[in-house]
Formats: sequence, structure tokens, C-alpha cells
Amino acid sequence: MDENKAVQYLDSLIGRTLRVHATDTRIFVGTFKCTDAARNIILASTYEYRFPSPSTVRDAATGTNDSAAGSAVDAPNVKVNMTSRFIGLVVVPGQHITKIELEETPPSRVRDPLKK
Amino acid sequence: MRVVSQSVVPRDITDEFTTAASKLKTGQLVKDEYFTLFEAVGALEIMDSKMDSGYLGPGENHAQALEDDYDLTRELGPEEVLGIMDGLLCHEMAWHMGHPLSQTLFTSLYLDKLLWPVPKSLDEAHFFRGHLANNNEELAIVHLVLRAYCLALVKCCDFVHARVATEYYFEEEDFVTQLYNRSLLSQFEPEPFYDLLNRAISWVDEQKGMLDERVREAIWTRLLFRREFLQGLEQDVEVIQTRSKEHFLTCLSQLDNLAKSTSLGTEVPDSFSWKIQRKLASTVPPRPMVKINFEDALAHLKRLCQDAIDLQEIIDYQGPYNFKVTIWTLLSRKPQPSVYIRSLVQTLIVNNMTILGAVPVKQFLYDELAELVLPSRILLEANMDEIEVPSDPRFQIAKQMDAFVKRFSQPFADTFRSACLNRCRIRRTVCHTIVDWDNLQMEAEDLDEQLRTLSKEPPLMLANGDATYSYPLSSWAYHHKLIQFRLILQLGFELSIYSPEELPGMYWYLSHICSTHLGHIDRIRTFTVATAKRNLAEMAAKKRDALERHTALQKSLRLLERLTTQIVAVDAFAISLHALYVLLARHGILPTASSAQAYSSDRLRYEIRMKPFLQITLPELVPYDEYRREAVLEGDSDEIVLERATKAISEARKAWEATLANGAFVQDSDGEENLAPAIEEDWKRDVKDTMRACIGASIAIETVKKALKARANVAEPKEGGHPPSVNLRVTIPETGSKARWHDWWIVPQVSPAAVGSKT
Repeated sequence: MDENKAVQYLDSLIGRTLRVHATDTRIFVGTFKCTDAARNIILASTYEYRFPSPSTVRDAATGTNDSAAGSAVDAPNVKVNMTSRFIGLVVVPGQHITKIELEETPPSRVRDPLKK
Repeated sequence: MRVVSQSVVPRDITDEFTTAASKLKTGQLVKDEYFTLFEAVGALEIMDSKMDSGYLGPGENHAQALEDDYDLTRELGPEEVLGIMDGLLCHEMAWHMGHPLSQTLFTSLYLDKLLWPVPKSLDEAHFFRGHLANNNEELAIVHLVLRAYCLALVKCCDFVHARVATEYYFEEEDFVTQLYNRSLLSQFEPEPFYDLLNRAISWVDEQKGMLDERVREAIWTRLLFRREFLQGLEQDVEVIQTRSKEHFLTCLSQLDNLAKSTSLGTEVPDSFSWKIQRKLASTVPPRPMVKINFEDALAHLKRLCQDAIDLQEIIDYQGPYNFKVTIWTLLSRKPQPSVYIRSLVQTLIVNNMTILGAVPVKQFLYDELAELVLPSRILLEANMDEIEVPSDPRFQIAKQMDAFVKRFSQPFADTFRSACLNRCRIRRTVCHTIVDWDNLQMEAEDLDEQLRTLSKEPPLMLANGDATYSYPLSSWAYHHKLIQFRLILQLGFELSIYSPEELPGMYWYLSHICSTHLGHIDRIRTFTVATAKRNLAEMAAKKRDALERHTALQKSLRLLERLTTQIVAVDAFAISLHALYVLLARHGILPTASSAQAYSSDRLRYEIRMKPFLQITLPELVPYDEYRREAVLEGDSDEIVLERATKAISEARKAWEATLANGAFVQDSDGEENLAPAIEEDWKRDVKDTMRACIGASIAIETVKKALKARANVAEPKEGGHPPSVNLRVTIPETGSKARWHDWWIVPQVSPAAVGSKT
């Protein structure tokens, strides 16, 4: 990939939704706004996702009846939602990124209802 | 929650992305073309402990960082419950004072448990959430008493939040309405909260003899207070109908008990944690918990309750003049009433085009015109509903007057509402509205001309034979504009906007505006007197309405007289301070804020101070040269200036005494009882403070006089030599300091300098 192609590729991602995984296992999902040589990534309208805490998992597993926590008891497997919150405009420094994912809509339904 | 359609699938692009990014040169950016670096600066940096509220430090494990080890179902001693209640009250008041919930109430783990996840019913909001509800019936002190208190507290916040958010306030300056994607239980009706509190209260009643009596009573008092506070806040604008002070009075009566018993409580610091910010939807960096002490919280609460009680005195409508006095006086209290009170007053002033829930704005505007300029009766009486013949002048007049009401009622009501902003914003807002009023005055002038022909107003002949007309509507608009001029200047003094070297000029300008205003009021009076004379003839002819009209005219004349007295008082005091400051400046003993090398100059300062008035057509802007000459009293000797100061201050003292004697409110001739005693007390105190400032100014003038005389005696023999400096020390008291008698009157403290410091 030469520089032109690289810029072109990154440019094509601008405005799309990225899932950026950080070293502390959190995932940041937001609109890709900017990046640089150090792979620092700026995301707008970002949500932070965090894996449920061990106690939540334990509660879900032991069958504590708490519908509000968003867990569904389905023994032997337990399904617990990740906790998320809105945090807005963020920059994820390149050295803290472990994985980058692009949210795509499969071609069968090429419509992006989320995009204005 | 983010909306994601089911069909979205993620694709791992880590490698492509990394390779592509590595090809970029240092400093090269690939970015959205509309995304600016300026915006980028505002981005929160992830994994930076100062910026990233979700960052967990090394060694912080997941569970500790997010969950806190605190067990919300644990047993609490009554002392601890008391401590938590008082801790919550401190946070609640800190929020009222303008701190965000994330740094105050939302740091409470108890509240967090009740509010998140958002409960679907009130029953669901309990401390057991997420745990097996085993011993629900036990530990009533936690699960009944503390829970009831917490829930009711949140509901209190809900009422406050709702009121403030519907009115004009400044986010982060006055208040933070941000809820971080939580709800303050606004979805639930208030009744169950009272049930809970009552159940808690009766449980505490039953514990007589089982708990330490003092602690038991302390908890009981807090529950009672909470119930009354909730009722008071629920009342909100309904106060217009209920006129009930009961709840806030009960609150006030409990505050001493709260203060006395707080020491019985044991703090439970573990039940508050700033870490909850990691779970809040927040676009700001993490911030420390705000801690205010209990005395400060109670002081704030006390003022809030007292203001809530006294604001009922504005509700009884007694004409626009009295209404304005009550509002200004109430909202000028120091410290300024809290944002909740100010928002509530805004709603009371005008809501759905109705003043105080009772007077339609049109009536309000007409009352104001009748009070002040009393245009020919036909203007205010013409009613389109009654006259349907379009050719009838009355129909035409009614049409014009309707247009006037439409155009003027909002800006007029806003002159009342703007008093509810914080003090800095009042001044800023008036700086903007004054330009609108300049335009309004011109529009009113056009209307006046048309109405004059329709109403066949008889002209008034001047001494030089010219005919002149009353121009009632534009006269009235001009009057309001001049009030705003004065307000901008006086709030400038209050807000410490002017540096000491500007004080001579600004006090001169204040007196200049006052004399313009006095001239304008004289003009209005001339026409009112002429109308009154004509009316006397009609009274003699026993015409219908003439007597009633006579009363109205007399009332209007009395108001004009009262305004004259007030403005004379301001004018005289301003003249005197101006003269005093001129002397201090001349002899180089007036402190200056700018150094000799400063870029600022008198001209530049003049330009910036006159900025709000640049666009105003009337009164005309005073050009800089004239302003400077007036400000330094060019050509007047020290003796003349001293004489001027002395004379003016004694006139000011007389005029302020007369103002005080006139009282705060215009009263109907039958002298009905005053309906706003508390506010009148504030008003009197304000005038008395001004009079104290007058006395302070007299003393300062005397001191200067003596020093100048002493210097003259010494200076005599020294012929041709440099005159010795005046041996005085001058300090300008800060707003709020004890020596500053009144915010609007900066009286310098002048004292003989220590002999040793003579140069």
C-alpha cells in the first residue's frame, strides 16, 4: 500500500462506525472522525461498552431475579449484556488500541438507516 | 442506548487500518473535512486518568472500581442513617448552588441503587436490587426510613429540575440540568412518596424507647422536614391559587433542630463514591466530589425557604409600578435568591401571556400606560369588540392599540423577567434590550402620530408659540430606556466593572442620564397637568367619568412626583461622588488599576463603556472630548468642585430621606394596608444603606476639604515651588465589604496618611 492508497483507504472509513477495542477490554463505538500516523483515533458520538463485572455475572448465574439488570437466565449458559454509556467525543490513543472493527451492513440490505 | 439494526456486522480491520496509518507522515491527518482541530481539542482522551472517567488505575480491579465494596443492604445504626441523611442534604444543596449531580447527589451509592437501572415502578426502587430479597421486613431503618428519605429527596430534585429547566437560566453558570441519562423519578406521581414518608414517620414514632431518644427525634425531624419540603416544592406555581406558606414555614421551623442534631449523626463516607461517574453518561472528564459543610447547606436551605415564603408577596397585583418594586427588591437580596426561586418568579411573572396568573398582558400594559403617561382616555378605552364600523376613529384607534400591545407586551414583560437572571446576566441582557427599546421608541413614535390624528389630541402651546403633542407611547418607551441606561451604569458599579480611574467619568455619566430623565419626566408631567386642567372644566360641567378621571390623573401625578424624587436622589448623589472623585484624581491620590505603561487609555476606556449606547439614537452619545471635559470638571477650581460636592451631598441626603418617607409602594389614596411587609423591609434597608453611603461620602468630602485647606496653608510660603502633595490615603471598598455601604455607591474611604509617609 503506497501513501496515496493508504490515505484513500482511511478516507473511505471517515464517517463510518468503528468499534475500537482498548487495552483495558473496553470497546468504544462511534463515528470515525480523524486519525494520524500514530493510529490515534478520534470518534464522535461515542458509546463506551464494558464487560459485565464478575458480580453481575455471578448474580445472573445464581439466578437472582433482577430483570432490570438486563440479564437473562438461561441455564447452563448465562447471557449478560455489556454495560454501555454515552461519552461523546473521544480520542483513543494508538498505543491503547488492540483491535479495530468496522460496522458493516451486509450487501443484501444495503441501507443505512442510521445515517442521516 | 444506541440504536443498532440487527443486520450490522463488525469486520476486523485492525491490520488494514494499522498498515494504512503507518504510511502517514508525522503530523499528517486523515479527517472528516468538517471536523476541525478546535473540536478535536475537546475530545476526551481515553486511558488518561484525568480525562477518561472510565479509566481504571493500575491495581484497581474491575469489581472494586465499578461496584464499590459497599454493601447497600448492610445494617445501619440510627446514627449512621442520620449521618447519611445529612450528607445527602449537603449534596442536594450543593446541586441547588450550581454543582452538577455527578459531583453531588449522584455520588451516593444509595441513590444510585434506587435510580439505576431506571425503576419501572416505585416498589422496584429499593436497596436490594440485584440481590436476593431475603430479609425485606427487617432493617426497617434502612429499607423503610432511609429509602423513604432518599426517594422523597430525589422527587424534590425532580420538582426543582422541572421548574428550572422550563425557565431562562444559564447552564453551568447558574445550574446544571444534566441528568446523565438518569431520571429523577419524574415518571411517578408524588402521592406514594408521601405515603412512604408517613409510614417511615409512624415507624419512627413507634420506636420510642427503643432508640436513643435524641437520635430518634433527629431522624423524625428530618423525615418531617422532607415531607414538608416536598409539599412546598410540589406546590410550585400553584402557590398563586393556594397562597399557602405553611409548608415552607414548617421547613423553616425545623431547621434549627436539624442544625442542633446533626452532630449526633455518624458519617458514612463509604456510601458516597465519585467512581459512580464511571457509570454515568457524561461527556466531561471525571471531577472530584463537591463537599460543602452542613452549616452552609442549611444557610442555603434557609434562604430558599424564606425566599419561597416571601415571594408570595409579589403575587398580589397592585399595578405595574409596585409589581416591579417587589420583584426587584426580592431578587436583589444578598445573596441572590437561588436559581429555583428565580425560575419560579419568572414563571409567576408571565405565563401563557398572563401576569401572575391573573392579569392579561394587555391589561398589564394598559395599567402601566395609565399609571405613567395616561394618554387620552380614548386610546385605552377603545375596544374593537364594541365598535364595528371600520370608519369610526375608535375602531381605527383600537386597531392601532392592538398592534401596539402585540409589539410591546413581550419586551415590557421581559423588563420584569430579566430581573430573575443572575446579576451579571441582568446587565448583559439589558445592554442588548436597550437597543430594542430604542427601536421600539421609534415605532411608538409612528403610532403616536397616527393616533394623535385619530383622537384629535389638542396640542399644547409652548411659550415660543410652537405647538407640541404628548406622544404618550413613545414617551413611555423613552422612560423605560432611560431606566435601562441607569441600570447598566449602576449594575456596573455593583459588578465592579469600572476601575477606580473610571469612577469620576462614570458617576458623571450617571448624573447626566438622570438629568436627561428628569427633563423627560417634566415633559410627561406638563401634558398630564394640561389634561388635568381640561378635566377640571369637565368636572365643573359635571360630565360623566370626570371625577374618576380626576382621581386617575392625581394618581399619575403622584407617581411622577415620586419618580422625580428618586431620580433627583440618584442624580445628586452621583454629582457629589463625581466631584469628590475629580478632586482625588486631580491630586493623584485616586488609586489606579492600570500601570503607567498600560495600553489602556481614557479614550479606550470611554469607547468600551459607551459600547452598549453606540447604537442608541436618544439620548445622543456624548462625544469623547465633551465626556472628558465633564468628567474632569475642566476649568473648575478645587474650591468650586468642593462646593459642588458638598452641596450635592446634602441635597442627596434630603432626597433619599424623602424617598424613604414616600415608602416603597404607590398607595391608593385610601391608604390600604401594605401587602408586602417583608419585601418592604428589604426595600427600606436598601434605601437606608444608600443613606449610610451618603453619610460616608459627606465624611470623605469633609476630610478632603480639611486636607486641601491644610495644604493651602503650608503651600503659601513656598513660592513657585512644587505644591506639596495632599496628605491623604484613599481606598476603594470592594463590593460586599463592610465599608461599602451600598453596591451601587462606591464611596471612597479617605483618611489622613501616616505622617511618616510624607514625601
